[in-house]
Amino acid sequence: MATSFKQIEENLKNEARKLLEEGKVSLVLAYGRGYDEDHPVPFVARVVADVENMVFNEYCTANMARYLVRYPRGTKMAIAVKPADSRAVVQLIQEDKIKREDVILLGIPVIGMKNSKTGEVIDSKTTCGMYNPVLYDVLLGEEIHGQTVVSPYDVLAEYETMDKDARFAFWKKEFDKCIRCYACRKACPMCYCDPCFIDQNKPKWGDKSPQSHGNLMYHLTRFHHLAGRCIDCGECSRACPVDIPLYLFHKKVAKECEEMFGQAAGKSIQDKPVLVNFRVDDSDKILE
Amino acid sequence: MLKKTAVQKISDLAAQLMQKGTLIAPVREDAGFNFREISDAGQVDLNFYNTLMSPKSAFFPHMEDFVRYQTGKSVLDAVPVEISIKPAFLFGVRPCDVKSFEIMDIHFSGTGAVDPYWQKRREATTIFGYAFDLNTPADGADFYATLGIGAADPEGSDVFMMKKGDELLLKAVTKKGEKLLAEMSGLTDASPEDQKYFDETVATGRSFKTRLTCVEAKSIAKKFEDLFHKTPFWERISDACLSCGICTFVCPTCYCFDICDETLFGQGTRRRVWDACMFTDFTLEASGHNPRTKVYQRLRQKVCHKYSYHVRKYGVISCVGCGRCTRACPVNIDIFSIVDQAMKE
Repeated sequence: MATSFKQIEENLKNEARKLLEEGKVSLVLAYGRGYDEDHPVPFVARVVADVENMVFNEYCTANMARYLVRYPRGTKMAIAVKPADSRAVVQLIQEDKIKREDVILLGIPVIGMKNSKTGEVIDSKTTCGMYNPVLYDVLLGEEIHGQTVVSPYDVLAEYETMDKDARFAFWKKEFDKCIRCYACRKACPMCYCDPCFIDQNKPKWGDKSPQSHGNLMYHLTRFHHLAGRCIDCGECSRACPVDIPLYLFHKKVAKECEEMFGQAAGKSIQDKPVLVNFRVDDSDKILE
Repeated sequence: MLKKTAVQKISDLAAQLMQKGTLIAPVREDAGFNFREISDAGQVDLNFYNTLMSPKSAFFPHMEDFVRYQTGKSVLDAVPVEISIKPAFLFGVRPCDVKSFEIMDIHFSGTGAVDPYWQKRREATTIFGYAFDLNTPADGADFYATLGIGAADPEGSDVFMMKKGDELLLKAVTKKGEKLLAEMSGLTDASPEDQKYFDETVATGRSFKTRLTCVEAKSIAKKFEDLFHKTPFWERISDACLSCGICTFVCPTCYCFDICDETLFGQGTRRRVWDACMFTDFTLEASGHNPRTKVYQRLRQKVCHKYSYHVRKYGVISCVGCGRCTRACPVNIDIFSIVDQAMKE
């Protein structure tokens, strides 16, 4: 039986209050009240009084790991993590963007999260479909077991029937919708480059105008920069104002990576990022 | 002049407008409705609440080509791109968005420097305003009432439309609109009851409920001036902000752009492309210095520009309360709440 959202919210507040009171952290990254109940906002509690404004409900989909790199190295932080978010934290630790000892993970097992824009339930179609965080210091609800485990790659079935030309045509059509607001990269916990390649003008890697070639340049480069790193939270697709199904490409690359290197992103802090790590028994399939 | 037609016959109306010029109207797309140039009269769909992107692109497109050149050739060989403007009809614009054109006019033609691209399109375009449905509650993100805009205000439109059951009433507001309506076939004269309904709807629309807070331009402008240096306030406000550009791109009153030289296989174009104050490179200077490196500085700029600097310079708030930025924000940041919190500071 999954813990109710209300109970998780209560537990979250209690933990946050305790951590701030004891001075163990200087900030708690979680969720706060938005302009209505269905639209909570990412929220940072800095003092005990802030805790009262915290909420947790089915619309708290934002991946708070996105904000970790915003604070100076060494800042002691607590962070509310859902399953995919915990993988993002693990991946950030692997990539040495944050230190394990600087973060306290408040794990939240979830089922039935909803997209606040569409009201649809979020499942393995657009996310990793996991129910429990892979890493946590405190768990804010009971672990969820006994649910049907669906492979996050099942959604690729139709996509994989397309040949190379059809896939190119598919992405070209999708990217032609892009308005270059860059919400995808900004919502992504793994997109922390400063500056992002597309913002550079010396050399200039891609055009600023929203046209096919520039859009392809931006998205395909971003896709590949996330190879073996995307933790499948689906935030990019939810952030997209024009509904580009970015998750499809990320899932496809993640699946190939997993097949080739036997490792999914952000599952264990003992792992090394696949594209950084060389092992003599690594598959040569990547060169084919 | 008040005319009417059956809502079902919208495509007839659309077809006639398409013969006279370019028709830009709401169409249903994957992510919601958007204003698009219509190629098939059947595409026009008035069953929308409001569009995802604002109608500003009808006058100020996301991308506008100015000059074409070839790399390696003399600058004298560069060819300016002619502005080719046909009569256009912007169909189905909500009253708050109609109001935005008036605010945008200040920047593109009202201060002495005239932008020919904006102005020529503006002059060539007939605006068909379209009242919100007063029987449906306003979307939770909307707050146009706060900015003093009614749900059925005909001002600013050339022709103003509203639904009355299965019928669509069309009222000529300007001379341009009157001339156009007189030329259209298939419209019937409205009855005195229709006229009464129209007038009543316009009046009721003025008190139509959206989110409401007391915003007096001068005092809010002053408030934000006083708050400028209160960094903790702005940091708190921007804790959630991802600093993407959605809010500015969907906004009907955001007008910032970049001039880019874009070259592909030796063929270059100097063009204007929408830019956003929320982007890190927006204020990056040639020296490498960037006066706004922090998210809070950029969000502060956006809010203060709309609610403070704009009031000080031009006397009006540069926001129409359409709610698009709030609806589109990936993390649900809401400019209305920011203004509300600022007033309480």
